[in-house]
Amino acid sequence: MSRFLVDRDGETHLRLAEGMELTKNQAVLAAVGLVALLIVPDITRFTPLSFTAIHRGILFGLAAVGLNLLLRHTELVSFGHAAFFGVGAYAAAVLASQFDVSSGLLMLLGSVLAATAISVLIGYFVAGYLDIYFALLTLAFNQVLYAFVLQSGYFNYSDGLNVRPDGLNPPALFGLQLSSTGYELVLYYLTVVVLVVSLLVMWKLVNSPFGRALDAIGQNRTRARFVGIPVEKYVWVAFVISGIYGGLAGGLFALLQLHVSPEPTLYAFVSGEILFMAILGGFGTLVGPVIGGVVLVYLLVQAPFYIEYYNALTGLMLLAVVLFLPEGILGSIPKIGTGLSRRRRDPGLLREDVATIGSSLRRGVSRAATTVRIIVFGVN
Amino acid sequence: MLEHVLNGLYYGSILFMIASGMTIIFGVLGILNLAHGELYALGAFSAFSIIGFVAGQVAAPTGPVTAIVFGVVVLAGSLATAAVLLPVGGALEAAFIRPIYDRDEVYQLLLTYGLLLVLTDVMKFVWGPSPVDLGVFGGINEIPTTELVGIDYPSYNVFVILIGIAVFAWLVWFFDRTKTGRIVRATAINREMSTAIGISTDRMFTLVFAIGAFFAGFGGAMVSIGPGSASLGMGLDWLVLSFVVIVIGGLGSLNGAFVGSMLVGVSSRVVTPYYPQLELAVPFLLMVLVLLLKPEGLYGAWGEIQ
Repeated sequence: MSRFLVDRDGETHLRLAEGMELTKNQAVLAAVGLVALLIVPDITRFTPLSFTAIHRGILFGLAAVGLNLLLRHTELVSFGHAAFFGVGAYAAAVLASQFDVSSGLLMLLGSVLAATAISVLIGYFVAGYLDIYFALLTLAFNQVLYAFVLQSGYFNYSDGLNVRPDGLNPPALFGLQLSSTGYELVLYYLTVVVLVVSLLVMWKLVNSPFGRALDAIGQNRTRARFVGIPVEKYVWVAFVISGIYGGLAGGLFALLQLHVSPEPTLYAFVSGEILFMAILGGFGTLVGPVIGGVVLVYLLVQAPFYIEYYNALTGLMLLAVVLFLPEGILGSIPKIGTGLSRRRRDPGLLREDVATIGSSLRRGVSRAATTVRIIVFGVN
Repeated sequence: MLEHVLNGLYYGSILFMIASGMTIIFGVLGILNLAHGELYALGAFSAFSIIGFVAGQVAAPTGPVTAIVFGVVVLAGSLATAAVLLPVGGALEAAFIRPIYDRDEVYQLLLTYGLLLVLTDVMKFVWGPSPVDLGVFGGINEIPTTELVGIDYPSYNVFVILIGIAVFAWLVWFFDRTKTGRIVRATAINREMSTAIGISTDRMFTLVFAIGAFFAGFGGAMVSIGPGSASLGMGLDWLVLSFVVIVIGGLGSLNGAFVGSMLVGVSSRVVTPYYPQLELAVPFLLMVLVLLLKPEGLYGAWGEIQ
């Protein structure tokens, strides 16, 4: 066994660093995913898929990866992540339009710093709260920020700010002033690099002692406190890290859209969307939120062009995820895979499936009939 | 100043009709219903059709007496509108909410958010994408009320304030004095024990959800009759405001929802004319303040209706 291959339970694992290991299947999937990310611009050139929509999806997915740190490990539902996304986007926009900063990377730095500051502030207040109170408090801070930006002339009210330092051209990337197509491509590859690095950092983080401590906090706060974990401080730090991911994604979003307004970046329902991306993709996994982000944003952005009732489409998809795919898209792949391979080996199982579906339908109908009878005629 | 306070009470009364449903649903079912704002919007749209129909059956008011007849007809129409929401709420609960009581709260939020989106499009399908206005507001204001004490204020707003208080009184009476109300409270306090003494929790949950939908629909009808119109996005703003209200009052507390609605209503209406830039932020600042000082809310009562 070499330095990068280790043997665990009779299976060969690819070992990238301490605690970061992949099974053979996972390594193949990760490589496929990376290649897919890199060739997205070529795929979209030859197919009717929208490049910008996928790019936006990846950015929201990055924010969802940050949120997932809280959701998966400390089991806190943050309903206010748009605050960091929006602050990141606005920081870039303010640097571009009020301070004439022309370097895109400087703007990103500004986004990260602003998001850090705001998440340190909000985290200080919310770190001690649990469950629904945590969700509602983060939502409240999010809405206060939204209301503040919406009413403030410095941020140009609901019209928002342009991210064009000279009023015309997009910001420079790596010192280069690019044409619009080139700008999009360079920005996309910058996004891919940022995404991959962020995922690796998150992976390392959740496998570190700090990540384990967060798991302990999520499972039982009292016990975590008894074994000596400074619970509030750790939650606060996790909150700030997750805010930085949101801010970074927001800054890149500003660079992509070249215009930032409150509605698509700061509104409370953007927070909801970021949360749902994490669940849709599978919040028990590291990469799931990115996939959820791409799928949900693609639906939200593209569906209105094809059908009138696009909200219902998204809604029905969410209902289906909750009722049939609770582990999300990525989290369900192993389960679906084993189920399919079992059925391929034994086709008799299919008849059982049909019988199960039939009997559950019958049960549902008879229960509904009973309820209606009781409501109409009362209990006999 | 008096006008602003009255406006605040009017606003708070409508807010209470929505928030009361949310708070009892949370208190009994343990579910934060994100689709509640859409039930309210559904009420507003249904009111456009139903009240529009019944108001068309009587002549437009010419004097105080005909105006009172007109007002009674409109009130009956809004009760009929709310009654439409009863089966809708019951069906939604039985079909979608019931399978997810034991799941993580994240899934409950996700499912009700999905319902919110679907309901929006159902309304878009039935009533079209543009706002609809009922236009009976002027007729009701022919009934003299405030003129009798020498103030110039729309009579309709006064009625809504009175209706809001009546709804609060009815809810308190229902949960305190009736057998069904006590059964609901027992279910909220301990589900297993209530099942053991022969209560069907499923049916209680359906009932509570239907009651919540009823009052949301009633509130929607009130807004639809008022100077505003029914539009597709209306549910979202009120949903977020009802969150604020029930958090200020304490999750699951009926008294809290009432006090919270009135606080939010009055404070936002009184502050707005002087500091218009604070209009959106006031309710949330109130909420942050309450949560930081008294995290369980003014009348905090976990999972209990009081």
